[in-house]
Amino acid sequence: MSASWLFIILLAIPTAGAAACLAARTPAAALWTVFAGVVLHATTALSAARRVLALGPMASNGEWFLLDALSAWHLIVMALVFVPASFYAITYFRDETASGALSLRLARRFGALWFGALGAMTLVLISNNLGILWVGIEATTLLTAFLICLHRSPTSLEAMWKYLIICSVGVAFAFMGTLFVAASASRTLEPGDALLWTKLLDVAGSLDRVMLEVGFIFLLVGYGTKAGLAPMHTWLPDAHSQAPAPVSALFSGFLLNSALYCVLRYLPILERATDYSGWAPRLLVVFGLISILISAAFIIFQHDLKRLLAYHSVEHIGIITLGFGLGGLGVFAALFHTLNHSLCKTLAFFSAGRLGQVYGTHDMSRISGALRAAPLWGLGLFASLLALIGVAPFAIFMSEFQIAKAAVDDAAYVPLALFLLGGGVVFIGALRHVVLMAWGAPPDGTRPERACSCEWLLVWLPLLALLGLGLWMPHSLYDALSQASAIVGGHP
Amino acid sequence: MSAWIDGVLVTLILTNLAVLGSSRLNACIRIIALQGVVLGLLPILVGEGAPTIRMTLLTAATMGLKGAVFPWLLLRALRVAGIRREVEPFIGYNWSVLAGLLSLAASVWLGGRLPMPETARSSLVGPVALFMIFCGLFVIVSRRKAITQILGYIIMENGAYAFGVVLLEEIPVLVELGILMDAFVAVFVMGVAIYHIQREFDHVDVDQLDTLKG
Repeated sequence: MSASWLFIILLAIPTAGAAACLAARTPAAALWTVFAGVVLHATTALSAARRVLALGPMASNGEWFLLDALSAWHLIVMALVFVPASFYAITYFRDETASGALSLRLARRFGALWFGALGAMTLVLISNNLGILWVGIEATTLLTAFLICLHRSPTSLEAMWKYLIICSVGVAFAFMGTLFVAASASRTLEPGDALLWTKLLDVAGSLDRVMLEVGFIFLLVGYGTKAGLAPMHTWLPDAHSQAPAPVSALFSGFLLNSALYCVLRYLPILERATDYSGWAPRLLVVFGLISILISAAFIIFQHDLKRLLAYHSVEHIGIITLGFGLGGLGVFAALFHTLNHSLCKTLAFFSAGRLGQVYGTHDMSRISGALRAAPLWGLGLFASLLALIGVAPFAIFMSEFQIAKAAVDDAAYVPLALFLLGGGVVFIGALRHVVLMAWGAPPDGTRPERACSCEWLLVWLPLLALLGLGLWMPHSLYDALSQASAIVGGHP
Repeated sequence: MSAWIDGVLVTLILTNLAVLGSSRLNACIRIIALQGVVLGLLPILVGEGAPTIRMTLLTAATMGLKGAVFPWLLLRALRVAGIRREVEPFIGYNWSVLAGLLSLAASVWLGGRLPMPETARSSLVGPVALFMIFCGLFVIVSRRKAITQILGYIIMENGAYAFGVVLLEEIPVLVELGILMDAFVAVFVMGVAIYHIQREFDHVDVDQLDTLKG
């Protein structure tokens, strides 16, 4: 299959899937269409990623599209979030489709927007044109806004409006940043090429440095808003807590990463243009640390389970950003952490969503004895929260350890101290919540949840993967991470 | 042509100040529509020689969307949702205009320090773009109604758009259309959102959307 066909297929599957969902006859059919389409898309994406990792980057259509190791890595993470989340949506909405709470109209809308989000994120990952990259990110905002208020309530509408406005304004900043970067190339590149990532990277040494730096600040603030970096994260807890659980899992598992991916694309250009002065990575370190510390403060005093998980997302995006900022091993570890966090956080939101259905609330003071009331999902929440706060031997511990090691290698002791402080506060704060929720007696009137065998897979597969990756890293994974981190590092 | 471009940029500044000082929502929407039409002239003006197909297409798309479709969508949202016509600012009109003038001064100072590339058709464009971003942000935070937040977003978007058109000789037309498309969908989605908010809450005052916190 030629490269251009591959890109067309990757974009055509979500489009066709969205159309099929709009024509679905029953709510269940719409949800199964979503699952089938997403699996098909994931298969294509994974085979493309494998080919890129083995044979090198693919470009096509006049360099509009590019798939290199960095985007291939993100495609893999995206597939690992979308496939389970789409399956989970079927089980999560099962009662609602049976009772008619999820009407055909809502199910169609859910399916079409879900495919739309998949398509927009794919567009972000495969485009070599930085303008199209921006168009893709803005499209994800617009397409996912109505997923938040799928079940209309005053709070979900409030969350949706904040998400829409804050992210649109943020992304408008990123647009200015994109233009600044293009303008910095006006002396060196043909006008039509000034937005092409590959061309910009080639001539990075002769770009106008001031324009580039101004542009990067705009880009970091803009895409950082969408990625949930503090202090621009204010939309995130609201949106994550109000959206239905599959949507929260998608937001936390990949929407944030796709925005951070855009910042990553600019990092090597900045580094080359400034002779590896470390100016841009230092900004990332600052934003990463602010995110870790602010989220730690909110995690201690949190009452709502899904908001707790949302602040964990801010923390982990901060850790990933910190890793990218530290450079060297830090980039490798941050990319590894991206996978670990996405696997773990989707599981956490799956469990939180189902527990919310069992208890009828997300208020943590009213959730107790989760391990007895809903053994499977209680276990899922318990284990995933332990992994999230960095308990060994889960893979998140390993990647956080590597980031700490990168800080030591870099002699960045102040960031290291702040990182450990934030991590420690989160550990203690969240552990208290976890213990109180997992043990104790379930309140009267909760009916024990019986899970079907396929739901066991949803919980155990990610858990085993996190355990396995914490103990042993396969050679192919190591190779993929090395290739992707070499691109972020920007060394020729 | 450069004098014409400067004329357009100055008009953009004036329309923003007019929005800041205006007390009626309908008037604000019409001023933004005017801003969109003027903005649409830019692609034709920056080109040298006879207008090409690309420029004509962009001009038509910009004018059509920002000058006609956006105002129509917004006025319709006003009517359908039955929103009161006053702007209801947190910060008074005179202070708003004063803030606008101050941010204009700041933008001129900041924009003057940017090394503009030789391809830029007007040295005014940097300051104007920054000013429009400040203005848009100011409208978003200083006005009570959700619909004025959309207006603020459009102002920001217009500023960035003007910056791109004047500064960069040739952005591929597909990218430009993608950007316009996104702006259109954004305004559309926000308009629909306002309708739902009005139906659920019976108002569209964003200062009362404060249940979620912590």
